[in-house]
Amino acid sequence: MNQLRHVGKSVKRKDGPDKVTGRAVYCQDVRLPGMLTGRILRSPHPHAKIVSIDLSKAKALDGVKGVITIEDSKGIKHGFVETPRYPPDQEVLARDRVVHVGEEIAAVAAIDDITAQAALELIDIEYEILPPVFNPHKAMQEGSPEIHPSHPKVAEKESFSNIGGKTESGWGDVEQGFAEADYVREDRYESHLRTHGYLEPQVTVAHWESDKLNVWTSSMGAFNKRAKLAKVLDLPYSSVRVHKAYVGGAFGGKIDLYSHEFCAARLSMLTGRPVRFVASREEIFSAYRHGQPLVVELKTGVKKDGTLVAQELRIINNAGAYRGSGVVVVFLAWGFTMAPYRVPNLKYEGYSVYTNHTTRAPQRGHGCPQVRFAIESQLDTIAEEIGIDPIEIRLRNARVPDEELPNKDNVHQAGLQECIKIAAKKTNLVAKYGRDRKSPPQDTSIRRGVGIGISSYMSGTLIYPNGSGVIVKMNDDGSAIVLTGAIDLGQGAETVITQIIAEELSLDMDDIKIIASDTDTTPQDIGAWISGLTYVTGNAARQAATNARAKLLIVAAEQMNVTADDLYLDNKEIISQSNPDNRLSYREVIAASVANHRGDTVIGEGFWRTMRDEPNHPSLATTKGRWTENYAFSAQTAEVEVDIETGEARLAKALTVHDCGFPINPGLVKGQIDGQVSMALGHAFMEEVMTKDGYTLNTSWLDYRMPTIHNMAESEDADVITEQYEVGQSYRTKEVGEGLVSGILAAIANAIYDATGVRLYSTPFSPEKILKGLRELERHQK
Amino acid sequence: MILYDFEYERPGSLKEATALLNETGGDAQLLAGGTDLMPNMRVEVVTPSLLVSVSGIEPAAPEKCADGSIRIDSLTKLSDLVDAELIQNELPMLAEAAHTVASNQVRVMGTLGGNLCQETRCLYYNQKHDYQFVEPCYKRGGDCCYPFPGNDRDVCWAVYMSDIAPVLIALDAKLEILGPDGTREIAMADLYTGDGMNPFTLGTAEIIQAIFVPPVPERFGWGYHKTTVRGGLDFGTAIIVIVLQLAEDGETCCWAKIVYSAVGQGPLRPTTTELSMEDAVLDPALIAVAASQEISPLPHHGFNKGFLRENIRVYTERTLVSAIECAQGKI
Ligand SMILES: Cc1cc2nc3c(=O)[nH]c(=O)nc-3n(C[C@H](O)[C@H](O)[C@H](O)COP(=O)(O)OP(=O)(O)OC[C@H]3O[C@@H](n4cnc5c(N)ncnc54)[C@H](O)[C@@H]3O)c2cc1C
Ligand code: SF4
Repeated sequence: MNQLRHVGKSVKRKDGPDKVTGRAVYCQDVRLPGMLTGRILRSPHPHAKIVSIDLSKAKALDGVKGVITIEDSKGIKHGFVETPRYPPDQEVLARDRVVHVGEEIAAVAAIDDITAQAALELIDIEYEILPPVFNPHKAMQEGSPEIHPSHPKVAEKESFSNIGGKTESGWGDVEQGFAEADYVREDRYESHLRTHGYLEPQVTVAHWESDKLNVWTSSMGAFNKRAKLAKVLDLPYSSVRVHKAYVGGAFGGKIDLYSHEFCAARLSMLTGRPVRFVASREEIFSAYRHGQPLVVELKTGVKKDGTLVAQELRIINNAGAYRGSGVVVVFLAWGFTMAPYRVPNLKYEGYSVYTNHTTRAPQRGHGCPQVRFAIESQLDTIAEEIGIDPIEIRLRNARVPDEELPNKDNVHQAGLQECIKIAAKKTNLVAKYGRDRKSPPQDTSIRRGVGIGISSYMSGTLIYPNGSGVIVKMNDDGSAIVLTGAIDLGQGAETVITQIIAEELSLDMDDIKIIASDTDTTPQDIGAWISGLTYVTGNAARQAATNARAKLLIVAAEQMNVTADDLYLDNKEIISQSNPDNRLSYREVIAASVANHRGDTVIGEGFWRTMRDEPNHPSLATTKGRWTENYAFSAQTAEVEVDIETGEARLAKALTVHDCGFPINPGLVKGQIDGQVSMALGHAFMEEVMTKDGYTLNTSWLDYRMPTIHNMAESEDADVITEQYEVGQSYRTKEVGEGLVSGILAAIANAIYDATGVRLYSTPFSPEKILKGLRELERHQK
Repeated sequence: MILYDFEYERPGSLKEATALLNETGGDAQLLAGGTDLMPNMRVEVVTPSLLVSVSGIEPAAPEKCADGSIRIDSLTKLSDLVDAELIQNELPMLAEAAHTVASNQVRVMGTLGGNLCQETRCLYYNQKHDYQFVEPCYKRGGDCCYPFPGNDRDVCWAVYMSDIAPVLIALDAKLEILGPDGTREIAMADLYTGDGMNPFTLGTAEIIQAIFVPPVPERFGWGYHKTTVRGGLDFGTAIIVIVLQLAEDGETCCWAKIVYSAVGQGPLRPTTTELSMEDAVLDPALIAVAASQEISPLPHHGFNKGFLRENIRVYTERTLVSAIECAQGKI
């Protein structure tokens, strides 16, 4: 009976038909009668004082229904992080000063776009220009233009300017570790500015009606949006309803509150009409949040056999104009450093530095690709210098099952060792490694190389709202309605939750309808942005179904005159094992429940939280406290081709061997893997937000080049199964939606080295850089 | 979204279209597929008050004229150009070039005439300036050039990125131009001023009506290469077109033409190198060095001059090799 019928199967997506037929309703499709168009007036300067704002002409324009500035807000600040150490730091609109190009200053609501645009042009603002700073190293220097004062805790000890926050951690004694090392190496790696590339733009429709704010907004978690909106509007949560809509991609870029969401809400409250904001792609490229370019200074000491003995990291994050997730990424970079390899002595410092760039958001992988690129690149260099192969050095240091990490987390059934072994075997890496460098082919300018990178990723952690609830309502006929706050961003949350409930209650997928992501009608949910949805909300769903199932079994046992443990569920029937003719349909059992249990219509409730005994997220400043209870692991290999005459390189083949616990839906897991490989390929070779003096040069899809279908590499994968699913029991699944952008990036860099001998210390891996590296090698050889 | 109002006309013939354009003067613009014009109107680098659309005029299919040349209607959609059997058979280089333009969606809208008359491009220019780069540059009627502050007044380094124009130049195509006063014919190469501020020689209300491509000689060879970052849906980093004719010995080059696109205000030709190729047995590596040194590629879209020159050198050599092999009947 433990044969699984739904879980572990690549069942079709619930949202598939709606999406491919165009029936799916996205925020942009929400049209309400009398709806106004909103537009935002943005700062043309990277750093300036606002001396005065004159709205009179804009307000007087025909067709303009509302114009707001910070004066029309309650002045309540918000922030990506809101903790005692990092209190809210952002106003909903600029007050007195702007600190990045495109910062929101005023907003209008008008009867159409042309009028709204005309109104913006009628707003007079007088600025006093202030000196800007864009480079984080310059911004840190004493006496550089102050964007915000350094964090008081940092300022107590260090004289750096513009430090938004710092993470410090470590264990052992690094000095001693380096002293004991046989080989020590120091390198500096740099990553570049990329953006999420969500196809659906930022869209918000807000409608204030009968003392209630109704909101449709493209997001990654309705409850996070509700909390922030209610707060800045000073409304009770019960007065703000965030409705469900399909989401056209987010990748980290749609969490937290955005100014346009406040503006839509406030303008609707002031005008009494629905108001809609749609960000243009240019606005998204030039004024919205991107990912975070990190500088990683890395010193590593090893023994002759490759055993890591000490590591020291200093990370500088060019964190943009407000705190955003800048202080989170320097915390996470520590986590992604320490999880995969055992390092007995480690010292870590991460600085989040304000600059006059746009505020930063999480971006798929949230710091992981940047640190894995650094660590995995350096590890290959070290291996070569001490004369061992890339696999041996990794196996020597990779975590083994049940290891306890320095933060007291446990890796449980970590499959990393196996991932590395399988990846090595499948790619035949050791045999292929170094082939084209040793004997370059004579008849072609193409060089082939292979490389490996590994990573580990958290699977859910504690950030508001910390827990997920799920409700399963049985219908009289035995079908079920599921209420969940989970949001399906395309990753398949609704499909996975349905599979779990179908499994637990022995229903067909089509018997279950989901009502999701609506803050008024569904239970609270952690949202789809901390890589824990399938684990946390999935377990809540399982528990809700178990709960409903237990009720059904009690009633059935009474009706059938057997004990509940003699019963099993099969295809909407409850059947006695001892006498299979003794059976009742769900319809009959539910009728009996209503008749004999005082009207109990059978509703199951479930809730889940990761690390249930932990009070909170670990300290962002010191890393103390538990981080996650599930670590996903992976080893990825890349096979690349490089044209040594042009410097053009491409990923020919990727292999991902990963431990996600077990896949609830292998098809969806495969989709995540392929998506991440192609995203990493864009990271490696194509995508870059180019800026000059805080302005974005490439503000379109044409000039910010994401890979197209033609660029996708062959992507193979293999699961290392370390956990299992049993009906009626809690389970562990591990993250699979964002960590896999990391190892593959490092693998590509290592493969380029393998093909050409050119070691790249910065992303992207452009033809210019590869050619430059080749020229330097030629010079050396001469 | 285009955030200003404009008028729209849809005449039934190109004659009427010129008349309409002429009435309104410089402020009116011809709208073909709109794939270049509409984005430019959206970012307001052009703000015509009248659009004269050709969507009501059916283009004639490509046909062979009595003198052996091929006539192509300027309104021909790029996708039709790619698919036309006559073009595939007789002018395969043109079909290949048309196929490299953008994506299928753009090609089913974009026309040949529009492709030739597309505006020059520059990262600063091809975006809205409502809060970014609010000081207009020379080409926008202002007083600076953001990326190249050293440029003299009214010198614009925006690049012309047509994939097809260099092919038509290499093939000695002629353009039939319809204006308010009737038609005139010019050589394809004479469409360009070489001035980034004002790249085309067409006068007010002048429309390219047709393109005539003469037949190619015996032992003719061609090579085409478009360097891009991502292969599809991508303007060229550099475009390299080479045509040549070999003598009967199958070795000696009678004449050759090299045309580059995407790296200048208009298509560029290394004419001295071309001369050196006449009646010579070619050494592709040497010619590639000479040609890439002779032209001066403009930095654009984040690519610096040194990189462009190197890319052009490598691909000139490779393209020349394939042009020679083509002429020798090897490919
Ligand atoms: C996403 C995208 C990618 C692109 N990629 C490429 C690419 O890779 N390579 C490339 O070459 N181009 C590319 N383009 C540019 C352009 O779309 C194409 O070149 C297309 O062929 C233009 O044709 P159209 O009919 O749409 O021109 P329109 O936009 O209608 O017109 C362009 C200009 O030419 C004028 N014009 C049009 N027809 C005539 C005529 N018969 N006589 C005189 N003037 C005329 C118009 O008045 C206008 O000024 C791309 C465009 C987009 C949007
Ligand atoms: S190159 Fe031309 S279009 Fe670009 S900024 Fe300079 S003047 Fe303007």
